[in-house]
Amino acid sequence: MHFIVGGAFQGKRKWVKEYYQLNDCQQHIWCSGYETEFFLPHHKMTQTVIVFEGLEIFIRRTLYTDIMSCRNEWREAFRLWQLWENEKLERRVIWIGCDISQGIVPINEEERNWRDVTGWCYQELVKMCNRVDRIWCGLAERMK
Amino acid sequence: MIVFISGGVRSGKTHIAEQYVQQIVSENDEAHYIATAKITDEEMRQRIIRHQHERSHHPLSWKTWEQPEKLHTIVNRFDKNDVILLDCLTNLLANELFADEFWHKEDSCLRKATSIYEAIRTLGKNSKALIIVSNEVFYNGVPEDAGTYHFMKMLGLLHQQIVSLADKAILAQNGVPLIKKERTKE
Repeated sequence: MHFIVGGAFQGKRKWVKEYYQLNDCQQHIWCSGYETEFFLPHHKMTQTVIVFEGLEIFIRRTLYTDIMSCRNEWREAFRLWQLWENEKLERRVIWIGCDISQGIVPINEEERNWRDVTGWCYQELVKMCNRVDRIWCGLAERMK
Repeated sequence: MIVFISGGVRSGKTHIAEQYVQQIVSENDEAHYIATAKITDEEMRQRIIRHQHERSHHPLSWKTWEQPEKLHTIVNRFDKNDVILLDCLTNLLANELFADEFWHKEDSCLRKATSIYEAIRTLGKNSKALIIVSNEVFYNGVPEDAGTYHFMKMLGLLHQQIVSLADKAILAQNGVPLIKKERTKE
């Protein structure tokens, strides 16, 4: 799995599209948290490349439970996708997440929880990915 | 030559930028400071006075241009003996975007951002060197209100375009310049 992280509007999406040469012909699923719902691997999938964009938004939508179960839910989701990727050599799961960790601590509890859970999830995900890149102004810096 | 320097509040961006100008300026050159701040309150006035005071103690003599907007109107007034410091892109963009009522329309914002980019490209071409200072404001998620959203989107876009064009891109952190991009001479 490959995790791409960085601030908002830094060109993460563009970088992924160029790096993996994702166009209409390439067999891939582009699942954006800004537009649609998250899903787990299932048998009907024929594509080999899956991109989850806006991971922080997917995480935000799962905050209705307590934060510990939320973390466990995500750890399990990452693990299932990792298993799916490992089944076939050509498979690749790409996660794009916005870094929301460097602003002022929000007064609102829900906003605070969101930041906390997102930070924990990103750490879990980094452990499970074999490659991590940080994007700044369109430039990628490989962290792992 | 274009040098892009970005960083958080109080990261020492301006100081690093001034050092670059000093390195580049040679005997027959002139140092220019394009100031973009608008005086909106007392704190801002004090801040501007502090920056002016610092420049007056600088070994270089600066020619200051007060240009809170319409950067394109001055781009042809420089030549290869001029070293320009643009401080900062963030103010310039905010002044342009919020100058009228069209900030909630993305195409209007995009037109303004493109005009700033073109002005920067011309300035870089006409001068000996252009050093651009900007801010890191992208680590609090994607904002929900239209004004902030468009401002951040346009600033992010400009950052990407300028870094792609720049010979050098620097992230300032705690006064330390971290070089992210450096074009090696062919």
